[in-house]
Amino acid sequence: MNFLNQTAAILWKDILTEYRTKDALTSMLLFGLLVILMFHFAFEPDSLETEKYGPGLLWMTFVFAGILGMNRAFAGERENDSLQGLMLAPVDWGAIFLGKMLANFLFMLVVETIILLSFTLFFNFDLLHRLSWMVTITLLGTLGFASIGTILAAISMNTRMSDVMLPLLLLPVALPAVIGAVQATAAAFTDPPGEALTFWVKFLVVFNIIFVTLPLLLFEYVLEE
Amino acid sequence: MTYLFAAYTIIWVVLFLYIFNLSKRQHKFHEQVTRLERLIENRKKS
Amino acid sequence: MKSQNSLAILTFVLMLVALYAIFIYAPTERTMGPIGEVQRIFYFHVSSNWTTFLATFFVFLNSILFLMRGTRELDIRAATAAELGTIFGAFGLISGTIWAKPIWGIWWTWDARLTSFFLLWLILIGYQMLRRVVDSPGQRARLSAVFGILAAVDVPIVYMANRWWRTQHPAPVIAGGAGSGLDRQMALTLCITMVAFTVLYFYLWKLRCELERTGDTVEALQRRLQTQGLEVR
Repeated sequence: MNFLNQTAAILWKDILTEYRTKDALTSMLLFGLLVILMFHFAFEPDSLETEKYGPGLLWMTFVFAGILGMNRAFAGERENDSLQGLMLAPVDWGAIFLGKMLANFLFMLVVETIILLSFTLFFNFDLLHRLSWMVTITLLGTLGFASIGTILAAISMNTRMSDVMLPLLLLPVALPAVIGAVQATAAAFTDPPGEALTFWVKFLVVFNIIFVTLPLLLFEYVLEE
Repeated sequence: MTYLFAAYTIIWVVLFLYIFNLSKRQHKFHEQVTRLERLIENRKKS
Repeated sequence: MKSQNSLAILTFVLMLVALYAIFIYAPTERTMGPIGEVQRIFYFHVSSNWTTFLATFFVFLNSILFLMRGTRELDIRAATAAELGTIFGAFGLISGTIWAKPIWGIWWTWDARLTSFFLLWLILIGYQMLRRVVDSPGQRARLSAVFGILAAVDVPIVYMANRWWRTQHPAPVIAGGAGSGLDRQMALTLCITMVAFTVLYFYLWKLRCELERTGDTVEALQRRLQTQGLEVR
């Protein structure tokens, strides 16, 4: 089985597992919507404030929901000791990482799409005009976040306080991705977008290149026994 | 001026505490090493 | 032990020289009026920050080397560097806030340098927490090495992201002082202090690594005793 097939197999396995139980997706989604609600009650933003704080709110919601989902990424494996089985099989470490990372990425995207639509609904975002930019930004921001999150989830899984360690380690390291995504989103919603938009998108691309390659290279050291 | 004094004092106090703490632990470890080595010697003989 | 003692003496001497330079040799800041003396905190502040970055570099270096070679010694060095980085980072943060209050009237501001420095400090603490919650020593070394590398690569990126963000939303920029037209005597004082701090770092580093090694010896002896006990019986 070559590398791509292995990756696809693991990705498919994760998707299938999730599809049967829908545990993670529902909890992530519910959590995201609750966060939106809480933000509304905590700040009661008017339309001007929504424009100003909207991007930040949006991405913080994504981040919180994402962390929830990431925790589950390896928790299920640990409960069934299936990671051992995976490591015994002649599978490339890199494929395991990519497969899991893409699964996390996909789940986050699904949840983010729904949350984004809810945001548009509740806070009257004009999404359609900036759809292509928003899609790009969301893809880029989520990819880096998912990549770092996957390797850190694998690390945290081996610790005593696994669910607490993940956000503790993830948030500082993923911060540039969040900054980039928020700034790009904010720029996308200003008329005219200006240089800031292209700048931050380029920033996200560079960030992703670094932080998808690096975890990929380091992953084997995390799984070693 | 009190600020100046406070800043330096804090740093020095912490530094001293840290070094002091390190020496104490090192000393304790050395005592343990001697004790354990002696025990092993005794066990060998008997 | 001998090298440790000479290093201790060197540290002590350099620190005295630095203190002399800071309090007697360096001129008082003129533009700030009567509270100009407070500016002298700046020497320790910048030196602490520098040392923190030095420590972070060593975490990075030793983490990479550890993944390549896998020796306990490298693991000890990485962990010690992180611990010292936390301590000097705390010094930097504390001295920074104490310096800022009388000069700018505020304890804190979210400019690029402060924010990313604070984040670096949090990351170093996170590194140490990670070490604390992993029970197996081999795993602890490996996992913290991986995290150390990820975190260290991240730090300059965090700084740049913050700086570019801040250039769009200008905030009170704290003129860090270093290099912005510094009086010659002040510059020299700063250099002396930074050198003193670096030597201090290496001295503490030696002490701490030695402590860790002795701890390993104790554990090894305890294990030997246990197996010996079993054999005799």
